[in-house]
Amino acid sequence: MKRGFSFFSRVCLHSLWMLLLSLVAFSQNRTITGRVTDAQGNTPLPGVTVQVKGTSKGTQTGPDGTYKLEIPQGSTTLVFTFVGYKKLEQPISASATTNATLAADVTALKDVVVVGYGTQKKTEVTSAIASISQEDFRQSGARNPLDLVQGKVAGLQITRTSGSNPNTSPAIQVRSATTLNNNQGPLVVIDGIPNGNLDLLQQDDIESISVLKDGSAAAIYGTQANAGVILVTTKRGKAGGSRVDYNTYFRKEYLQRRPDFLSPDEYAAKIASGEIVTTDRGHRTDFLDLLINDNNLTQYHNLAFSGGNDGANYRASVYYNNMEGLLKENGRQQYGGRLSITSKGLDNRLTAQFNLATNFNKANLLTDGGNLNGYLTFQPTYSPYNEDGSWYFEQTSTNELARLHQQTDILQQQTTSGDAKVTLDIVKGLKGSIFGSIIRDNLNRAQYAERASELSIEQRQGGGYAYQQSELKLKYAVEPTLEYNLTLDRHNISAVGGYSYRYEVNQGFDANNYGFQNDIFRENNLNAGNQLVLGKAGMGSYKNDNTLIAFFGRVNYVFNDKYMASAIIRREGSSRFGANNKWGNFPAISAGWNVHKESFLQDAAFISQLKLRLGYGITGNSGFDNYASLVTMGTGGNYINPDGVWRQTYGPNRNPNPDLRWETKREWNLGIDYGFFNGRLSGALDLFRRKTVDVLSTFTSQVPSFVQRSIYTNVGSFESQGIELSVNATIMEKKDFRWTTDVAFSNISNKMTSFSNDIYKLTFIDRGDIGGYGALGTALRTYEGGRIGNFYGKRFAGFTDEGKWRFYKADGTTGPADEISRDKDFAVIGNGIPKYQASMTNTFRYKNWDLRVFMRGKFGYQILNTLEMLYGNRQGLPSNVLRSTFTKHAKLNDSFQYSDYYLENGSFVKLDEVTLGYNVPFRNKYIRSMRVYFTGGNLATITGYSGNDPDFVKDTGLNPGIDALNNSDDRRSYLSSRSFMFGLNVSF
Amino acid sequence: MKRITKIATYAALALLPVFASSCTDLTENVYDQIITDDFYNNKDEVVSAVLRPYTHANAWVTPGQNGWWRLSELSADQLAWPQKGRHGYDGGNWIRLHYHSWLVDDGPIADCWYLLWTGIGFCTTAIENIEKRDAGSMGITQAEKDAYVSDLRLFRAFHYLRVMDLWGNVPIVTQIGNPINPPTAERKDVFNFIEKEILDHIDAAPVLSKSFIGRMSKASAYAMLVELYLNAEKWTGTPRWDDCIAASNKLINGEAGGMNGALALDPNITDTYKPTNHLSKEIIFSIAYDFQVSNFTPQWTGDFYHFNQGLINGNDRNGNDGVVVIPGVYTTFDDTDKRKKEWISEGPQWKYGTNNTEPVIASGGNEYNGEQLVFVDNIRKNKLGSTLSDMTQGEENSGVRFNKYKLGPITDPNYRSTDWAVYRLTWVYFAKAEALMRKNNGAATQEAVDLVNTCKQRAYDAEVWETKKYTTATLTMDELLAELGREFIFEGYRRQELIRWGKFTTASWWDHKPSESFRELFAIPYAQRALNVNLKQNPGYPN
Repeated sequence: MKRGFSFFSRVCLHSLWMLLLSLVAFSQNRTITGRVTDAQGNTPLPGVTVQVKGTSKGTQTGPDGTYKLEIPQGSTTLVFTFVGYKKLEQPISASATTNATLAADVTALKDVVVVGYGTQKKTEVTSAIASISQEDFRQSGARNPLDLVQGKVAGLQITRTSGSNPNTSPAIQVRSATTLNNNQGPLVVIDGIPNGNLDLLQQDDIESISVLKDGSAAAIYGTQANAGVILVTTKRGKAGGSRVDYNTYFRKEYLQRRPDFLSPDEYAAKIASGEIVTTDRGHRTDFLDLLINDNNLTQYHNLAFSGGNDGANYRASVYYNNMEGLLKENGRQQYGGRLSITSKGLDNRLTAQFNLATNFNKANLLTDGGNLNGYLTFQPTYSPYNEDGSWYFEQTSTNELARLHQQTDILQQQTTSGDAKVTLDIVKGLKGSIFGSIIRDNLNRAQYAERASELSIEQRQGGGYAYQQSELKLKYAVEPTLEYNLTLDRHNISAVGGYSYRYEVNQGFDANNYGFQNDIFRENNLNAGNQLVLGKAGMGSYKNDNTLIAFFGRVNYVFNDKYMASAIIRREGSSRFGANNKWGNFPAISAGWNVHKESFLQDAAFISQLKLRLGYGITGNSGFDNYASLVTMGTGGNYINPDGVWRQTYGPNRNPNPDLRWETKREWNLGIDYGFFNGRLSGALDLFRRKTVDVLSTFTSQVPSFVQRSIYTNVGSFESQGIELSVNATIMEKKDFRWTTDVAFSNISNKMTSFSNDIYKLTFIDRGDIGGYGALGTALRTYEGGRIGNFYGKRFAGFTDEGKWRFYKADGTTGPADEISRDKDFAVIGNGIPKYQASMTNTFRYKNWDLRVFMRGKFGYQILNTLEMLYGNRQGLPSNVLRSTFTKHAKLNDSFQYSDYYLENGSFVKLDEVTLGYNVPFRNKYIRSMRVYFTGGNLATITGYSGNDPDFVKDTGLNPGIDALNNSDDRRSYLSSRSFMFGLNVSF
Repeated sequence: MKRITKIATYAALALLPVFASSCTDLTENVYDQIITDDFYNNKDEVVSAVLRPYTHANAWVTPGQNGWWRLSELSADQLAWPQKGRHGYDGGNWIRLHYHSWLVDDGPIADCWYLLWTGIGFCTTAIENIEKRDAGSMGITQAEKDAYVSDLRLFRAFHYLRVMDLWGNVPIVTQIGNPINPPTAERKDVFNFIEKEILDHIDAAPVLSKSFIGRMSKASAYAMLVELYLNAEKWTGTPRWDDCIAASNKLINGEAGGMNGALALDPNITDTYKPTNHLSKEIIFSIAYDFQVSNFTPQWTGDFYHFNQGLINGNDRNGNDGVVVIPGVYTTFDDTDKRKKEWISEGPQWKYGTNNTEPVIASGGNEYNGEQLVFVDNIRKNKLGSTLSDMTQGEENSGVRFNKYKLGPITDPNYRSTDWAVYRLTWVYFAKAEALMRKNNGAATQEAVDLVNTCKQRAYDAEVWETKKYTTATLTMDELLAELGREFIFEGYRRQELIRWGKFTTASWWDHKPSESFRELFAIPYAQRALNVNLKQNPGYPN
């Protein structure tokens, strides 16, 4: 009570003082001028807000950094504020000139972390949340916004399995696989829009990316949060003058590592020597070389206008981006814009915020790398042309070069999102908001194969082939929330509660036809083909939807800035769940302790921060197909009816599962945030242990008594645990020189604890279809209790004198391949998930120069070298084979076999990015700042692995560790390339 | 206090959605699929459910997938899928089928199990749904309802017949999901169940007519009884030769109808297998196809055809260069036997329509890339001069090939519409002949000889026939088995025949050595036994 009184009295005194001041102010005014400069570059700062403290009087600096302000008599202090700089209060000097020098505020953006449905002070965060802001983004020219943070967050795995292909997304995984489904990716929330579309994000529009790694943070997103949550915040206008930013880069890719097939001359020499028994057709063709786009050039332009004052701000940006892959006919052009406006009203009690973003893109999908193996293995004494110059076709292979000339495959897509959030300060401490968003994503895909193309001739009787597909996806969200903040004495309570309604609906249509008279219409007049009449034209359409509804709340409590606690509850239901399990609850609780604020550490001056965190949270996964719980009737093809008419047949295409429900993950997280020596050494250490239960998968069902051999049901459980460490160190700090090092490290171990329940029993799951010649089956098998990603195969015991395989049997004897039992004799021979992942960024600044060196690596795992397995064997002849066929595997004279003979250590270290930048010290009233930089991407890889770039081998999900050249199991190989990039950032 | 009231009020307002039911409505709107409960509302829907197991039967009764056909033929003495260079190893599946060394978890065996039981499921779900609904509510008459149910029950019996053929002891399941883990029944009981289902519904079944092409009919029911009784001695220990003869007579005497007039043998060796074989007089039950109007087309091209086969046939069907005739089988046909050249491809291959002037050039980077395709009656690496011959020693041209059924050139108005005969009258003739002989202690009777000769005569020109026809002296049991092999090559029955002759696990052929007697039944798939504890493994297999 006593304290309360003194608080009250202070407020009264302060008010009185203000009143007096303003009275005085009425009496006399004077004018002062001054110049505001940047502390570092000593360059003028335009657009700085200059205000007389305690009044609403203020102005902004002009282009040359100067201002002129009439101040009331008695004013003593000016307040200078500017985005990205520390607020400065400067006494008004007695003379008419008051100059100011603003220091950049490097920590301002980092002090606050975006969490779900709100922000939190970093010092008060009690969960495992990592936040990366713009200056730390990777700078190789992102093809996808998440490329920006690859290797930057311990525990966030981003694997780009298809290199420089601009039309693919990286595989993203937070901490570990949590599901057996294909849908392994985290929930992406863009400015509050759940399940946002990454196409709408451009690298220069992103302010920060926050990753909610553990369950105690992610539980606020309920059944979408098992795989973690990535929160993206875009840039907004800031109070201050208007400004224009222009960012651009140009990039070129160069082939780095190509599979080691025989060169045409070597191949011909082996025909001559009798090692290859086939005919020399006389040509010498480097088929792969024909597919490479040596003239590739990628360019990017982003122009942003922003500004604002206290009551409102805006930012508008437009961009153009033309990306070209290393392979021909593989590109993507896109342009679009983003607009955000924030405005206040009702005496600043009402805040309205609007975002509108759109992306138009046009992708050339004719090549995705999936066609490489056909050309790599093509007998190199052939030519892609016949003697008369026409294309050479043969029924059993595809003339890839001809295909690139004679076919088209263009995807045009437009995605738009709009959202609005209106917040009202209802009473002190209580805010009510309503948020609404819509994403509309529509696409058109058009394919055409000319009449003379191989596809047309070999499969469509020379009548061409045309295809069109259109799709429309709509996602709606409405989320009213209430926020409450109360500070009582040393207690601070903040709470947020809300309701979320989300509805998604997808629909699509496609049609194809052939039998065209000429190539004039292409895919633009589908009905001109003759197959509508002849019955072989195709048509299809679909529509499905789902609804997700939730109630959620979170309470954070902080005592004396020392002790923090947070509790979350989300109750969520989805239309996808079975009738018996429509709703689930997802609670979380976490606590933190700022140890460094305790008196017993007061003397330890070297400790600037030491926080302990402990959290536990339950999240779910509802990322499965719509209607998965219902017994639906599927078509079974036409059959003849007694009246002689062929009609569609229908039968159940699913087994019933009214109990279908979400997967549930329970996770403990123990963390330490540390900072020593005035923040020169800081970082975080997290230990986690998580268990996913009710894992959904397609399980084999009892047949009989069910109709279908598989049922989609909740059976298995996973466990994983790991360590994540991040270290940010300022190693050297001199007047003109600064060297910082950031390290991210993670270690993980996974286990499939069970695949069984009362009804369904399974002792193992097989994953990772090898594909290619000889149907070798799957490469990975995990038994109950085993690790995810275990290679399960034969153990090589040597070759016979005739070069025949011998493999070990369970009893230690050896035998040929067909005597080796998959169940009895196969063994765990390796694992495809890296045990350790690490990255290191070294940044050096010298005066206006900066140099960044970024290295990444993965360690402690194996890769199945499918290249050697399928292309390093004489059985592959007379198709082209790897050189190793005649060296390393010279002894082998037997069928293609999968065994540990082809497993290799996959560990690697990659010099992923080197950027040299220079801040051009302009002293010019037009240009605020200018930076030029030169980046080399994917410069070198140190590895013992002999196949493709090991970095491109999938290490996430359940089918990791298998190299690609053949296209099985959704693997696509893409050639590894080095990139060189020149970039420019200018602010006006 | 006032502030707290205010906060409470706003919080309550915000929580209002909890009480509004529309805000918690999680109904699924099904737009492009049909929920089972919303089906069976009119005749078209009912018929489409009745016919679902028929399109599915294409998957397991004809070649092209891991169905009854592959297990029956690739484990027998006429056909094999050898490894040919880099192709065809396929996990050793075909090699193990050939050597009778299949494992309890082999893919083809499990796949076949699933295919057959899913077919049974399609029958049963339709039976359940139709039986529980009132005929009027489905827009059909009671008579139609009864006919649909008997059709489905007969077809389900056909599935059980083939399940029993492969695995012997299997569960008898007549309700979906009840019990979830059905127990294994003795083969004898399965036999009785099948016999009863057929006999209970044979009278209600329609006589075979044009309208019942590709469907169950009285004729197919009798054919099933023929198969059941022909194998009864092997399957139950009790011979039923007279029942077999009686059922055969129903068909031979035309008492069960025919697809094109009275059931009769086709006059030659091509009518039964050509694109217009829906006009065949002898087909009793077939999987009916019509590519032109329905897109439903034979799936077996992948198994039989070479990568460049389309050039030979003047169409766009190529295959995986898979199944070939085992060395030594081709020469069991004498050169005057028209079936030899008509049903089997051998020697240099020529482009369609070029009158043997333009060779078919192999492409695709295999052994004979760039050379004329020549199918040879041996399986060895001729290209490398090797004489070693076994399942792993094939090349792309190894083995003579299937050419019995023909799809026609792409210009044929019935292209890719050739039906696959499951039961044909010739097979009934042979069954009756076999029953007569077995009744007669393995010696031919004149009636048996006449039955076989009537069929065989079609394969010979009149001038040589007299020297080729059988007499009661020449038609021994072994000769009957050999003739069955020639007449029914590629048709799926070879394993059954070898088992009836006691040769399946005791004889040798090509590189195949005698196997263990328990191999007469396939292993119950491991994955199903892991799920269903009431499922017993067949004797001889590891438990």
